[in-house]
Amino acid sequence: MSLAIPNGLDNTVERPGERAPLVLGETTYHDITEAVCKVAERPPSKGWIGGFLVAFALLQMLGLLIVYLIYTGVGVWGNRAPIFWGWPIVNFVFWVGIGHAGTLISAILFLFRQEWRTSINRAAEAMTIFAVACAGTFPGIHVGRAWLAFWLAPYPSLNLWMWPQFRSPLLWDVFAVSTYGTVSLLFWYMGMVPDLATFRDRSKNKYRRMAYGILCLGWSGSSRHWMRYEKAYAILAALAAPLVLSVHTIVSFDFAVSQVPGWHTTIFPPYFVAGAIFSGFAMVLTLMVPARQMLNLEKLITIRHLENMCKIILATGSIVGLAYGTEFFIAWYGQVPAEQFAFLNRAFGPYAWAYWTMISCNVISPQIFWFKKARTTPWIIVVVSIFVNIGMWFERFVIVISSLSRDYLPSAWAYFTPTWVDWGMLIGSFGLFFTLFLLFCRTLPVINMAEVKATLAKQEHMAHLHGHGEEAGEGH
Amino acid sequence: MDQKTMSETKIETTVHGMMAEFTTVDSLLSACRRVRDAGYTKTDAYTPFPVHGIDKALGIKPTALPWICLIAGATGTCIALAMQIWMNSIDYKYIISGKPYLSLPAFIPVAFELTILLASFGAFFGMWALNGLPKFSNPMFTDPRFDRATDDRFFLYVDASDERYDAAGVRSLMADTGSDYINEVVEDDSPKEVPKPVFLIWGLAVAASLVPLICILTMRVTNSSRPRFHIFFDMDFSPAKDAQQVTSLFADNRAMRSDVPGTVARGQMEESLDMLSGIDVEALTLSDPPRVERLVRAYMQADDEAKAEEQETLEKEAEEAAEVTEAAPASVMDTTPWVENNPLTVDAELLAIGQQQFAIYCSVCHGMDGYGNGLVNQRAQSISAPTWVPPASMHQETLYADKYPDGKLFSTISNGIRKMPGYAGQIKLKDRWAIVAYVRALQKSQNASLDLVPDAKKAAVEKAVEEAKAELKRQAEEAEKAAAARQQAQQ
Repeated sequence: MSLAIPNGLDNTVERPGERAPLVLGETTYHDITEAVCKVAERPPSKGWIGGFLVAFALLQMLGLLIVYLIYTGVGVWGNRAPIFWGWPIVNFVFWVGIGHAGTLISAILFLFRQEWRTSINRAAEAMTIFAVACAGTFPGIHVGRAWLAFWLAPYPSLNLWMWPQFRSPLLWDVFAVSTYGTVSLLFWYMGMVPDLATFRDRSKNKYRRMAYGILCLGWSGSSRHWMRYEKAYAILAALAAPLVLSVHTIVSFDFAVSQVPGWHTTIFPPYFVAGAIFSGFAMVLTLMVPARQMLNLEKLITIRHLENMCKIILATGSIVGLAYGTEFFIAWYGQVPAEQFAFLNRAFGPYAWAYWTMISCNVISPQIFWFKKARTTPWIIVVVSIFVNIGMWFERFVIVISSLSRDYLPSAWAYFTPTWVDWGMLIGSFGLFFTLFLLFCRTLPVINMAEVKATLAKQEHMAHLHGHGEEAGEGH
Repeated sequence: MDQKTMSETKIETTVHGMMAEFTTVDSLLSACRRVRDAGYTKTDAYTPFPVHGIDKALGIKPTALPWICLIAGATGTCIALAMQIWMNSIDYKYIISGKPYLSLPAFIPVAFELTILLASFGAFFGMWALNGLPKFSNPMFTDPRFDRATDDRFFLYVDASDERYDAAGVRSLMADTGSDYINEVVEDDSPKEVPKPVFLIWGLAVAASLVPLICILTMRVTNSSRPRFHIFFDMDFSPAKDAQQVTSLFADNRAMRSDVPGTVARGQMEESLDMLSGIDVEALTLSDPPRVERLVRAYMQADDEAKAEEQETLEKEAEEAAEVTEAAPASVMDTTPWVENNPLTVDAELLAIGQQQFAIYCSVCHGMDGYGNGLVNQRAQSISAPTWVPPASMHQETLYADKYPDGKLFSTISNGIRKMPGYAGQIKLKDRWAIVAYVRALQKSQNASLDLVPDAKKAAVEKAVEEAKAELKRQAEEAEKAAAARQQAQQ
């Protein structure tokens, strides 16, 4: 490679007229294969085992709590009149939002030909799937008689003699989230097939080879297959892009279509989508910054990748901040007393602590990314992205709880207090998420090798053109 | 050399084709072009990542996949719309949130999601089907070096079924392209049958998965003499108490609870009956107890029947009074003990409200000054409306407070009289009393002498009167002058 990289592995220096390299060092195709496959092939590290045990213990706790909840009834939660939605829906919206960054990276950035997505999209998509799994848990157990949740499906029931109500946003939600989960899974799996073939071909163990052999469907790398594969991938991306926007829009309809002051606003769809992308990118960073270090993937997931994601966080964080301001403005401008009260109550009422936590985490903390130093320093990135995750959880908390607790009728006011089961389930859902993510790291290709190789090929091609101008014409 | 021995040893097996290995994309691409230009069509390349430009280099035709997607997506839209329309507008009609049975806007989200879902299935499954996958056996896999096709090597392949295929010719052509590994691909002769245990395990798994289903079905169709097992006892048998039940929960052992002190039930209002009806109820209790009962029902319990009956009484009374006025004094017939004085504190604020409400609701007929010549009356007179009953003047003596008590005036505003409809529905209770107060002020304002004006304001009033007189005089003079001028002009 003729492209000189100053300061070793720093690719964050802007050089006009040249694209920053996305794969660093004297990396070959084989190096990429080695780096990614090693993650799954070598025995697990102590850190991984420790992390997995903790996450798995939390998952067990979630399972036990769900059993306890179903056996006893939803009264074990803090959901009381008038806050019947409470904590589980806060968690649901939070987790669905986390999922969005994965699809955004894999679909929208793909459509915009943003090649820096290649080394992060696999993990981000995995995160999407796992986040949607966490999200799906909560409405599933929130319906009260969880074992009858299948009534939501439009099937000819001989017991009910009736059909679901298709004019309700809650049913749209069922379709949106399940479609989203399914399409994300297809997209993720399809993207993984060529890499699973690499895993198969490297496997020494017979059973391992068989397992990956079945998973990769007999992929051979044929150019005819690649051509259809790429077409299918582009189509899926084009389908997933509007899908991802629709999902959180529909989630926001659950609120916006109601009459509750603080919910009944048209700003919700765009504001929820921006918030979802914001929180999703924060979660990607929270996972990727430690993961790239632990799995030795710094050459593939570069500081440049992190910096780009920080820029997106800065942009979406500012959009979210603008949305908060707009809500206040409209409450004043709209001159609806209940609406005005709802927003004043959020900022200065009994949940002011949650509101100001949200503001400081979501609006103020990402502003540090205006500084390049902050965007390129991993520990600052992790700290800020954790803040953003906390802030976005609180955003959902503020929207759901504060609006319900101070409705139109002062006689129906109440203060929501979570129970230990609420807390346990929130923490347990992180157990589910991290268990799945850690298993993913150990068993599946964490980086899209095929795409990174294609990026490297292009990068080498460009370097070839730049470095050896006299040879550039040859063969082209 | 090594390659030769390999191909010789496998001479008896079926040859599937010829492959060549390359280390760079560019060498593969140029080799592809060579092979294509030599006229081979049954060719393929195997690469660890999609190589751009290889479609052209190999002569690969575009795929029909987008069309499959389009059809699948359109099917999704149709299924979703048909499903929602049939389920919610035809088979199971149910009004919810005021939306029509067939509310297309509400059906859009699900239609959108199903479109995306089926189009994605089309792209996903269509791609695998077109590619002929999953297919776990492939002659290419017989070559040990082919494992690197998913790592860092690029392979070019020419199929033996190609019309121009000739082992030596292909091999020399490939050698020309600079490949350093060329080998014949032999047919995969590993046993094609799936091992029997796989079927056994598969069959067992399918059978096991049916067990719960069969159990559920059996339970649904068989009768049992034993009571059903209640997993969630408190959901099947609610601990909520019925009326008249005994409970240990409260000290008085009654499940029914009495009202919390201060409870305002529906129909109960905070104002007194006197104020609501304009009738002195205490006095009425002595003379006509049944009517008091009716008043309570009409006003306190919002009983429409009682209200209509009361209205009838009032109308009858008014008619009789109107007949009698011509012959004898009104007070003879009117037996209702009306409230004599406005129950609200009359002050400037109340009068301002009364003036405003009077201007809004009353002045259109009664006129701003209350002389009964509002715009509606003027119009009615001008077209000689046949059924028109001219509105009363507020300044006739029979309407003064001594003959027409405040309560009666209030009742007239609320319930109407003759052609005038009741305004209880339009004007709030206190505002109606404010109008009563304003009407009284209006009556007093006519024929008022200067003595009634407080000393402090006398000077101002006198000045205003002087000014008004001067203005009238000036206008009269101007009119005179104008008339004189007109006369002169005519002459």
